[in-house]
Amino acid sequence: MSIMSYNGGACIAMKGRNCIAIASDLRFGIQGQTVGMDFEKIFPMNDHLYLGLTGLASDILTVSERLEFHIKLYELRENRKISPKTFLSVLSNLLYEKRFGPYFIEPVIAGIDPKTRQPFIASCDLIGCPMEPEDFVVTGTCATQLYGMCEALWKPDMQPDELFECCSQALLNAVDRDAGSGWGAVVHIIEVGKVTTRRLKARMD
Amino acid sequence: MSKFSNDIVDHSRQHRFSPYAMNGGNILAVAGENFAVVAADTRLSEGFLIHTRDHPKTIQLTPTTMVAMAGFEGDILTLKKNALTRIEMYAFEHSKFPSTPAVASMLSKMLYYRRFFPYYVYNIVAGLDENGKGCVYSYDPVGSYERESYRAAGASNELLQPLLDNQIGGKNLRNVPALTVERAKQICIDCFISAAERDITTGDAVFVYVITKAGVNYDKFPLRRD
Repeated sequence: MSIMSYNGGACIAMKGRNCIAIASDLRFGIQGQTVGMDFEKIFPMNDHLYLGLTGLASDILTVSERLEFHIKLYELRENRKISPKTFLSVLSNLLYEKRFGPYFIEPVIAGIDPKTRQPFIASCDLIGCPMEPEDFVVTGTCATQLYGMCEALWKPDMQPDELFECCSQALLNAVDRDAGSGWGAVVHIIEVGKVTTRRLKARMD
Repeated sequence: MSKFSNDIVDHSRQHRFSPYAMNGGNILAVAGENFAVVAADTRLSEGFLIHTRDHPKTIQLTPTTMVAMAGFEGDILTLKKNALTRIEMYAFEHSKFPSTPAVASMLSKMLYYRRFFPYYVYNIVAGLDENGKGCVYSYDPVGSYERESYRAAGASNELLQPLLDNQIGGKNLRNVPALTVERAKQICIDCFISAAERDITTGDAVFVYVITKAGVNYDKFPLRRD
């Protein structure tokens, strides 16, 4: 039994044409038992920057709260919104500080750069190694399943509606093949000036 | 994984000979209304080494039945040889080939015979049943089997199985197009292209076999060679 699969969970972010999708399941479990069905793993840092976290639930809450604190201080000091790339560095540094006693989480970042308006996605491992791919990022207990779905379904430059369908199908079918994730899903589509949040009808097991 | 893998070195345990190796690769089968499609890649690997790029993982046992095998190549070779011999014996005794459900049952018993020193092989039997309908049977290494509509097995079955659930099973979709031979073949190829991206043991080429009552046809498609 691994610490990363103790609570279960899955998170995915995808890049589209001037938009991004970030989605997670809603299960909160303690090993085999499900104790929560509304545990969203996506946290808005500001209007255009969303953070998704999977792994140990306790660390999910701690890291998201610490990062919110960092971002608020940043915005007070700098008097501007943080860019996603800088946020990735903040997160990476925060995680590497705990290199020999890490937070047991795998984060996923999705945001739109406030200046250039470009979509941005990234993920890290539990000690902060960053990865900025051009297509999609996946984390969680069903990461392998998510990789398979995304690799087949994703294509570049999708419009928000198509991106929503792609992201939802990838997440839903992957968590249906994992006992540790599921019990519903939430998807956020982030465009410039607009965020659409939808809850998906899913298998509740 | 450490029980079967020879390439991960564990420094803190006494060295022991392992009778198994992982030779990687993927197999996949889909059953249609009156056809079955089997796909298997051709890469034989061990850890980061590629032994050969041109080694298909399937065998045709009867005019209407194919078996695809993934796992440890040593056991695959033996199992193929033994299965073929049993089929030939059946054909000699009964003057006809066994039906696909009969072959499926036989394979299960062959595998369970070795319950306490298993064949490290993941099998999929595909073909046409007595009514001419497509059928797919999937196995675990000791012979537990079940008839299904589609199954992926091998090194990246976790990558491929949800995609099959979605595209063939129509899960989480309101309506899914009818399953024709062309659509089944295209889905198989797309699956292998995706698997080749994310799994190091899958690649080089994929053979796609279509089993209909007219016989077995196959095509070979190239995959990433990295």
